[in-house]
Amino acid sequence: MRRSRIVAAALSALAVLAAASLASAETPKSGGHLNLMQREDLSQGFAVHETSTIATSFPSMPCFNNLVVFDQTKRAETVENLVGELAEKWSWQDNYRNLVFFLRRNVKWHDGQPFTSKDVKFTFDMLREAPDAPAKLRINPRKDWYTNVEAIEAADPYTVVFRLKRPQPGLLVMLASGYTPIYAAHVNPAAYRTGCIGTGPFKMKEWRKGEFVDYVKNPDYFMKGRPYLDSLRYVVIKERGTRTAALQAGQLDVSFPGETTKTAAEQLKKAVPGLVITPVAQAVSDNIIMNTKKPPFDNLKVRLAVSYAIDRKALISAVHQGGAVPGASQQPKPYGVWGLLEKDLGTLPGYGKIEDMRAQARKLLAEAGITPQNPLKVEMSTRAIALYVDMASFVINELKQVGIEATLKQVETAQWHSMATRGDYQIGANLTGLGVDEPDANYYENYACGSPRNYSQYCSEEVMKMIEQQSQELNPQKRLALVAALQKKVEADAARPLLDWRLDYFTVWPYVKGMVPHDNIYNFGRMADVWRDK
Amino acid sequence: MATRPLGVEAASVSLGLRRPGAWTVLARFCRKKPLGAIGGLLMVVMFLTAVFANQLATHDPIATDAGQSLARPGPDHWLGSDHLGRDIYSRVVHGARVSLIVGLASTLLGSVFGGIIGLLSGYVGGKTDLITQRVMDILQGLPLLVLALVMSAALGPSIPNVVLAISIPIIPRAARVIRASVLSIREMQYVEAARAVGLRHVRIAFRHVLPNTMGPFIVLCTAQLGSAILVEAALSFLGLGVPEPYPSWGRMLSVSAAEYAQKAPWLVLFPGLAISLAVFGSNLLGDALRDTLDPRLRGA
Amino acid sequence: MKTYIAQRLGIGLLTLLGMSIVIFGMLRLAPGDIVDILFSTGGYVNPVERVAIEKELGLDRPVWVQYLEWMRQILTGDLGKSYRYDLPAWEIIRPLIPVTLELAILSLIVSVALGVPLGVISAVRQDTPLDYALRVFSLAGLSMPSFWLGMVIILGLVAWIGWIPPVTYVSPSENFWLHAVQFALPSLAVGYRSSALIMRITRSSLLEVMREDYIRTARAKGQSGSVVIWRHALQNAILPVVTVIGIEFAFLIGGLVVTETVFNLPGLARFLVEAILWRDYPIVQNLVMFIAIVVIVSNLVVDMLYGFLDPRVRYGH
Repeated sequence: MRRSRIVAAALSALAVLAAASLASAETPKSGGHLNLMQREDLSQGFAVHETSTIATSFPSMPCFNNLVVFDQTKRAETVENLVGELAEKWSWQDNYRNLVFFLRRNVKWHDGQPFTSKDVKFTFDMLREAPDAPAKLRINPRKDWYTNVEAIEAADPYTVVFRLKRPQPGLLVMLASGYTPIYAAHVNPAAYRTGCIGTGPFKMKEWRKGEFVDYVKNPDYFMKGRPYLDSLRYVVIKERGTRTAALQAGQLDVSFPGETTKTAAEQLKKAVPGLVITPVAQAVSDNIIMNTKKPPFDNLKVRLAVSYAIDRKALISAVHQGGAVPGASQQPKPYGVWGLLEKDLGTLPGYGKIEDMRAQARKLLAEAGITPQNPLKVEMSTRAIALYVDMASFVINELKQVGIEATLKQVETAQWHSMATRGDYQIGANLTGLGVDEPDANYYENYACGSPRNYSQYCSEEVMKMIEQQSQELNPQKRLALVAALQKKVEADAARPLLDWRLDYFTVWPYVKGMVPHDNIYNFGRMADVWRDK
Repeated sequence: MATRPLGVEAASVSLGLRRPGAWTVLARFCRKKPLGAIGGLLMVVMFLTAVFANQLATHDPIATDAGQSLARPGPDHWLGSDHLGRDIYSRVVHGARVSLIVGLASTLLGSVFGGIIGLLSGYVGGKTDLITQRVMDILQGLPLLVLALVMSAALGPSIPNVVLAISIPIIPRAARVIRASVLSIREMQYVEAARAVGLRHVRIAFRHVLPNTMGPFIVLCTAQLGSAILVEAALSFLGLGVPEPYPSWGRMLSVSAAEYAQKAPWLVLFPGLAISLAVFGSNLLGDALRDTLDPRLRGA
Repeated sequence: MKTYIAQRLGIGLLTLLGMSIVIFGMLRLAPGDIVDILFSTGGYVNPVERVAIEKELGLDRPVWVQYLEWMRQILTGDLGKSYRYDLPAWEIIRPLIPVTLELAILSLIVSVALGVPLGVISAVRQDTPLDYALRVFSLAGLSMPSFWLGMVIILGLVAWIGWIPPVTYVSPSENFWLHAVQFALPSLAVGYRSSALIMRITRSSLLEVMREDYIRTARAKGQSGSVVIWRHALQNAILPVVTVIGIEFAFLIGGLVVTETVFNLPGLARFLVEAILWRDYPIVQNLVMFIAIVVIVSNLVVDMLYGFLDPRVRYGH
């Protein structure tokens, strides 16, 4: 009896020692430099509000702060994981009609000017293109995120109120995106194209065009003791092979979000077993756009046939070697909050047994008057990038099985968006990145009548009503149900059949600590909590 | 300027002498220029591969097969498969067709067009010659790849556009070579004789001068064929060349090949070897032809 | 001599003018412009905003007005502003020049250092197995795609020794040895390719010269083999080689495009490709003109060298 007690005591002492040493091993160390990468140079410098690409947002993250962000040390992007950056506290008032932020004091811009509510009002008035906005963005891709904002009040220097036209619980989450940093009111927005004045943990030291961006620690950062690192460098490497080789050789410490496929990760791990690889979702989906305004895709049956013809699981296996997951228009669980579960997907086109799906597709086509004697010939457009082309080639093959002859047309990046917006195409293989896992951001951008990114030019009154309804629903459970119904409806209308959601095998060297990838490539990378163990 | 007569065969043609039999010529060539014979053999192999691609390939070059991603070379896939499961051997075989078509078409287009310009410019001489040469200088002032790059971006990715983009830089080079040849022939006695007899210039140009430029022309074509294939490969590698789904050796080397090269080195090895062998063959053949047909050009 | 130089310069300028029109026209021919690309980074298109940006960048003016504006800018030494970076083009291009020039010159040195000796050996041992082997080796370099060679080098390095040359440019003042290593590999790769032509020309012009009577006479007189070769033959064989070196320089620049991309060197060539894809007219136009000037100047220098080395040419055409 006594011996077991001694053993127990010894064991617990050991446990305490072990825990203590573990804790000390995990105590962040200050100092050091980190090499990250970019796959291309910044498109418009640090002008995050004038672009919609991770090429700008990821390398700009260290420079800026948002009002709120998703916790950079946790993977899931949920309302519970929101933390304040420039806002200390916030609260919804008047039944989600007003959003009040109490701002942090003693925050300085990188040029020494104090941060106040004026900067917040400036940024969002500019974004929503308020009639009395003091500045205008040359390109404003996310204007429709703020259509519901009636006015922004900055009554005192540390309080901001967003007055909405109607309740919109989703607005808060949209403010946490990497696409929603705060600009300085005293800086011309055009200046962000060449430099960066932010409040973030790092100051932009040098931007050598086409080569790299250098950051140094911001000594006046509002979070005491942060950032841990002294400096950062984002190196531009366009050549994929060279990128992988550099990461493997240790010249780069961190991979670029969304750039590491499953096969590449396996290869890296084999070469350097110590690398830490975390599979995460990207909030990037592969989908098919179809011009619903012109034949043949103005016919619902033909569109549905296309959706039925594409075996989603086979696509994931063939094109991504398993590095993607099936889902509907919202990123599926457990990667996203709103997505349908796999069992619900089973009822949607493209998820059942392939022979049944193909038979269904042929039946629908026959009903639309398309038979082997009267085949359908279409042109499938896609961007002239290997990733897109691989996907398109697979889809063309699938369509061939049900009697749709599609030829591939590669479109250069310079022309893709104008072509798609003009409706100058029949069917296309497309990629969509969602800035944040929020149905409002997704549906207003991609499915709302008249939205410039609604490439299918899909317009359904019923769906608009559903979008508006879920946007105002305050009860989270009810909202989940509404969004689930919306996903099913949109797939049933097959205007933009969703194929899969991509995974990223985010890779870091083992001495990089505190770098936690999210299930969304756009919303992490602030780098304030990252430190080096060597 | 000429210290040695033109290639015996060419001169005999213009003088109306009986030509030695074709097989004798070939045999003599193989014996005297074994490297050239090897080059010729490589070219013939490539040509046959291109023509009989469908028969020679074991798989459909664009069919994907998820289960066979990055398979090692073996009985199923002689040269392995890529990340989408496409058979590398079949793609290399079909790639020969693409490379050959693009290479030949652009070389012939550029050389013929440039040759005609060179012929006329050299024969007519005078101010026309001067102006034409300046225009040619303009086109030639830019390195081949740069010009092809800009053209390709301007025209967009498609096979006819790639052919056009590669042929345009060839025009001034062809014009220069043919013109140089024409300038020397122009002064030859039999041309003067023809003029004395009263033959019209056009007749002289095409019936007497042109055949004697055949030697340099053939040499030019084989030399440019090699460059054309390389430029097409580089353009495809940069993403501006032959588009999907046509398999192109250059495009097979971009993106995924480099990324998965350590797991699957055959992705990088075989398309590159194919390009190298094709260009090597054309260069060997071109060198040997140059030595045989027009020894004066050896130093040009 | 002076009139010759003046004549050549005049012709060169005319050529440049013609080239400017060609490059200007071809760029405008390309579908899509900077505004399209800006919108594509934004992920949407807005016709109203488009008109505003076109006006801001001066793209709404008629084409010939834009051309004249460009010409005027060049004459006043202003290279315009990059559409993409919103900064003076010269500021962006300037740091790239030394990188490309260094790479080009190093490659040329490698190609001469490799090509001339190999050509001499090959000529002296004409038609022996050594000759064939050297010719095959040299031709192999000419036949390999330069980007393939570069890729194989980098991938081979990382696979075998887990190391690759630095992916960010290291200047010689920062770390001389690292800089040397960084430039050694791409120079060797490009130089190997260029050496083929130089080797071939050295060999053939040497062969031709060796057949000349006076060489045979010198040999008959009993002078030792190597003296004959080195003194008489090389002197005369050097001329075509010099010409070819000039041509090679232009050829090199084309090959640098892929080499800079693969080895991740921040040079002009790599930047040019980017600028073309971005339809950054000021950068592309000025860069291409710069390359053209370099090529024309190098041709002129070669011609003058030729004229200097061979008095027969100096007063002819």
